[in-house]
Amino acid sequence: MKNKKTGKEKLTEILYYIMRIAILASVLLIFFPGMNPAKVCDYVNKNMSLFTSGIAYSDLTKLCVRAFDKGWVHEYSFIILFISSLLTCLGIAATGAMGCMSLGNNKFRRLGNKIGIAGAGVQIVGLMGILLAYTQIAATDNPKKVIPNFPLKNWLVFLVLAVIVLITAVITFLRTPKADKEEPYYMESKFKLFLLFLPFAALCFVFSYLPLYGWRYAFYDYTSGGTLSAENFVGFQNFTSLFESEATRADILRVLRNTLVMSGLGLATSWCAMAFAIFLSEIKTPWVRKFVQTFTTIPNFISWVLVYAIAFAIFATDGFISSMMVNSGIWTEGRNMLMDPTGHWFKMLAWGMWKGIGWSAIIYIAGIAGIDQQLYEAATVDGAGRFQKMWHITVPGLLPTFMVMLLMAIAGILSNGMDQYMVFDNPNNTNVNMVLDYYVYKLGLADGRISLATMVGMVKSVISVILLFLANGASKLLRGESIV
Amino acid sequence: MADIELKKKPSMDEEEQLVTKQRKDELKQEKKNEKEYYKRHKRMYKLTAGDVIFNICNYTVFILFTILCIFPFYYLFINTISSNDLVSKGLINFIPRGLNIDNYLSLLKANEVGQAFIVSISRTLLGTTLMVAASALVGYLVTKQQMWHRKFWYRFLVITMYFNAGTIPWYLNMSMLGLTNNFMAYIIPGIVAPYNIILVKTYIESIPAELEESAFIDGAGYWTIFRKVIWPLCTPILATIAIFGAVGHWNSFTDSLILMQDASHLFTLQHRLYLYLTQTSNIGALMNQGVSSVVGEQLMQSALNGKVIKYTISMVSIIPILMVYPFMQRYYVKGIMLGAVKG
Repeated sequence: MKNKKTGKEKLTEILYYIMRIAILASVLLIFFPGMNPAKVCDYVNKNMSLFTSGIAYSDLTKLCVRAFDKGWVHEYSFIILFISSLLTCLGIAATGAMGCMSLGNNKFRRLGNKIGIAGAGVQIVGLMGILLAYTQIAATDNPKKVIPNFPLKNWLVFLVLAVIVLITAVITFLRTPKADKEEPYYMESKFKLFLLFLPFAALCFVFSYLPLYGWRYAFYDYTSGGTLSAENFVGFQNFTSLFESEATRADILRVLRNTLVMSGLGLATSWCAMAFAIFLSEIKTPWVRKFVQTFTTIPNFISWVLVYAIAFAIFATDGFISSMMVNSGIWTEGRNMLMDPTGHWFKMLAWGMWKGIGWSAIIYIAGIAGIDQQLYEAATVDGAGRFQKMWHITVPGLLPTFMVMLLMAIAGILSNGMDQYMVFDNPNNTNVNMVLDYYVYKLGLADGRISLATMVGMVKSVISVILLFLANGASKLLRGESIV
Repeated sequence: MADIELKKKPSMDEEEQLVTKQRKDELKQEKKNEKEYYKRHKRMYKLTAGDVIFNICNYTVFILFTILCIFPFYYLFINTISSNDLVSKGLINFIPRGLNIDNYLSLLKANEVGQAFIVSISRTLLGTTLMVAASALVGYLVTKQQMWHRKFWYRFLVITMYFNAGTIPWYLNMSMLGLTNNFMAYIIPGIVAPYNIILVKTYIESIPAELEESAFIDGAGYWTIFRKVIWPLCTPILATIAIFGAVGHWNSFTDSLILMQDASHLFTLQHRLYLYLTQTSNIGALMNQGVSSVVGEQLMQSALNGKVIKYTISMVSIIPILMVYPFMQRYYVKGIMLGAVKG
């Protein structure tokens, strides 16, 4: 097996590489809406990839209900379109299997080639089906409404890739010597492990890297349902408009102020968790300590919606405090304290601490358990008091952990999350409550200003990554250890 | 032979008895010593007045804070099980009165909430199971030095923890993949969780390599080793990530909010609760919705005001978490510490 490869074998290897690249390209392309060969008329959503066209019939025909009713297009042309897209996707999946199997021994390769040749054939049939669906749709009696428009470029790309895969598969199949019947299917373990890993890498790519491709919306003037084209390309205009327009600038400044103030308050009180742990460890009755620790951690496990439900139960017009005050005759009627915007930043901080302090303290409690007891004994012998021991032994012992937490918090200064601010938002406090994450959500999904929201989100992400690197650098400088 | 054995046995028992007696005596002695030590200890370090004041303050503050953490849950709970008349007058503040579970029973008849509950439960079960299985397998794979370009692929996964495309690109991506108004949107994106993969990987690296090697010599393949050796040994860390994953699934509501705009039958319980809390009009709809007039009337009577319904739905969302909380406690500290090691 490990003999030097002859020229013939080298050529086969090269063919395999060409084949794998073509397969990878087709697999990637089925996810790009811009490359969808099934977008044969205006009734197919422009943001639909071939993959979506092939798996979601209801999405494919979402816009054509009226056209079906009026008889402009026959529904069965769309069924053909759907089945053809599905066949194309399945064919590409089969060639993908061939690509994977080509990493094995000859027996594996031959089996893979058989599957792949069939797959490429299916893919070509599917593409022909799309062409057929187009010719049917193009024969409509109302072309002005339907606007048949064959995406020839996309279709040709897929066809060419399919043909390349088919040809290379046939050639390599003919060149690969037939294996003995007894020879087992075999693959080197490095590839076996890699192929086990591959589906997860693909998932990770699709859900974590692919969204980055959506950043391109920031450079267009995009409205929902529209297209991205050279005409609405605006470059950095969305970015500059953040500062040029008076209203937007005021908005951004207000949001930034809120974000920074709330993060700043969080940073300024981040020592509280450490203090909580230190004082908790001063409680010498084990069951009390356990009790406190158990029940102060619970709020961390409920969602912000439930925190709001609790706030509602306590502070609303007919909540706990109001009913207590009214029943004891101090107030004449209940008040809704949630609508009151005074001291909103501190209220948010208090809710954050109520929810999180018991949880954040756990790491420090564990840290205290790790401090050498002899230090305390020695200090006692030297006559150190309780607070001196805390300040000179416990705090320095916990400081490294604290620094890591602080640096991470600094890196995340722009991301306070949107859940908390969303649930506590109301017309009275929205002025002091709106933070960056919530603003992006509101701008993009409620107001439909997708390009602007993408731009804001993009700038935020970039700054956050830079801050993370800075924090990491600081950590390396201070502690000689990186945090990421 | 038999005789000897018979004779020997009692003697051995006697010996054992002797040994246990000795041990018991030793233990007793130890306890005595300990007690005396504590007595002396107390005499030596008598609590000063300052210590007493400190202790009183410390205990008080902590116990007050703990009550602050529990009381809201208790308050919600007693309001849902008390007579609704008293609740609407605001008379149930500390002690439940007129105990009944009608509110919970009438909530069962409102199919909106039932549906949301089923969605939440199924996404939690399915999502967590797949996430744990995937994290275990990927965590195992990335410890294997032989894997093709292992370092690159590991970094490929881990780096995604540190950047984020943002809400809008994420939404556009999901809608491009056809994952809007689709139950799978809750499940598929969460399968690969880099942080959990790191936890599992760190844990597997702490398992002695000999175990795996011996299985390998016995002819087991990677798959068999994973199933028969790695998976059983990893149960503690898998339990940890399962708990975090389940709580995350149960609590998440932004994905429901953003992705399920046109599919109200796929709203999660948290999302429903959010709607009820922020829009009072929904409560009326809930009380009349989809139920025959008799049941509707019953609902109107049993819930004199929306307040009780809000409280009851909140309780329904909290109870599952409180139920698993005792089991969680054993594991979350471990999870946090392992995470801290990695940073």
